[in-house]
Amino acid sequence: MKGVIFNVLEEMVEEHCGMAVWNEILNEDLSGDGIYTAGESYPDEQLFSLVEAVCARTKLPMEKVVGDFVEFLFAQLAARHPVFLENPTDLKSFLKSIDSVIHVEVRKLYDNPNLPEFEYDEPDPDILVMHYRSPRKLCVLAEGLIRGAAAHYKTSVEISHPICMHKGADRCDLHVRFLP
Amino acid sequence: MSDDVNPYQQAHAREKAARLKAEMLLEDKSRKLYLQKQKLEESYARLRQQESAMLQNEKLATLGTLSAGIAHEINNPLAFVLSNMESLNNYTLSFQKLLRLNQVLLQTDQVPEDTRNSLAKLIDEEDLSFVSEDISELLKDTGDGLCRVRDIINNLRSFSRTQNTDQVETDLLAGLKSTLKLLDSELKGNVDLQLSLHELPKTICNPNELNQVFLNLVINAKQATENAKDATVIISSRCKNDTIFIRIQDNGCGMSDDVKKQIFVPFFTTKPVGKGTGMGMAVAYGIIADHQGKIVVQSKEGVGTIFEIQLPVVTETLT
Repeated sequence: MKGVIFNVLEEMVEEHCGMAVWNEILNEDLSGDGIYTAGESYPDEQLFSLVEAVCARTKLPMEKVVGDFVEFLFAQLAARHPVFLENPTDLKSFLKSIDSVIHVEVRKLYDNPNLPEFEYDEPDPDILVMHYRSPRKLCVLAEGLIRGAAAHYKTSVEISHPICMHKGADRCDLHVRFLP
Repeated sequence: MSDDVNPYQQAHAREKAARLKAEMLLEDKSRKLYLQKQKLEESYARLRQQESAMLQNEKLATLGTLSAGIAHEINNPLAFVLSNMESLNNYTLSFQKLLRLNQVLLQTDQVPEDTRNSLAKLIDEEDLSFVSEDISELLKDTGDGLCRVRDIINNLRSFSRTQNTDQVETDLLAGLKSTLKLLDSELKGNVDLQLSLHELPKTICNPNELNQVFLNLVINAKQATENAKDATVIISSRCKNDTIFIRIQDNGCGMSDDVKKQIFVPFFTTKPVGKGTGMGMAVAYGIIADHQGKIVVQSKEGVGTIFEIQLPVVTETLT
């Protein structure tokens, strides 16, 4: 996982719980030294362990913390890279540009970005099915980022996740229904 | 400054903002570096391609010089050998006439018996009846062999372009169509011939030589599709930016990269021994090069081959 994700988690914890809480989490934990640089890669497990520590501190359920974090993550990434959101003028175009535009740009910045693959289906004008494939199985992150993007574009969506790699499938299907 | 504000927090926020800015700068540089690297990689690939084409051209030019030298050196003795052969044929006829007359006289009493016996003994000892029969065959085979040598030398001269060419204003499309007409029986029923021929401007060239190139390429395409399912040859012509493009495409056996590198080399052939001279493509290359054009080859084994002739439209002779 790239350090920028850790930086955003730190940002969120400091914003909601204060700098002291983040320091305590780092002091209690952990395998690392708590120094995260945006372009560097760190083990995914370190992020999961930090998120667990946040849950323990805030006494909030994991789903809530992860959901909030990923939405916050989208807003932070959008602030850092506004150019990616300039051209797609609506949520659907943005989601469809992930593989062809955003991932291409990410590859320019990082040597081994370990990016997921997306394929798309549009069975109906109001539905976009995103087929997610990644050995890291971070579909929860993908789902949260879609929610973050929907918030950014002020678009109401309903997301279902009927096929999941965590249930033995070879890919995750994320059905995004665009609500009027 | 208010006492409520924690100075460490302020410093932390400042540091974070500075770090973010540094990261952004780094990202910008990384992006530029990536694009430059990509451009460099593309340039390098193009350079390698040009280098390989240049080496190929130099190799063929060297072979052209060598071929011209060999052709010239062989051509001189060949000329008198061929001329001598003609005289030898005539001398042989005289010798055979004499032998036949002898054989007739041996059957008569016009020659004294001693002389008859000596002549008969000589004819028998030297096996002259057999020699007379065999000599015609030997001379014919030798003549055929020398003609083959002459053809090979002519092909070498065509490849090395030492001959003068007759250049006239030509409608290449008409030439291509007449070549296809010539090959009609060869192609009919064997391949699905698809034509996409657009009008071409007239150009000054040697039509006979270019028709020979078309002929070689179309025959090669047909032969390449001999074992192909739904054998197809697609021929197209067009003109763009004062360049004539004639493309001959087949869905035949295709060529490996190694074969592709050598197809214009004289005497290189993939055909079985005795089936091809290996000069067809070399001659085609020489002719097109002589017309300041190019032959571009794309081929994939098991998929097929495309030969594209590119010729500049010439409206005035260079002389």
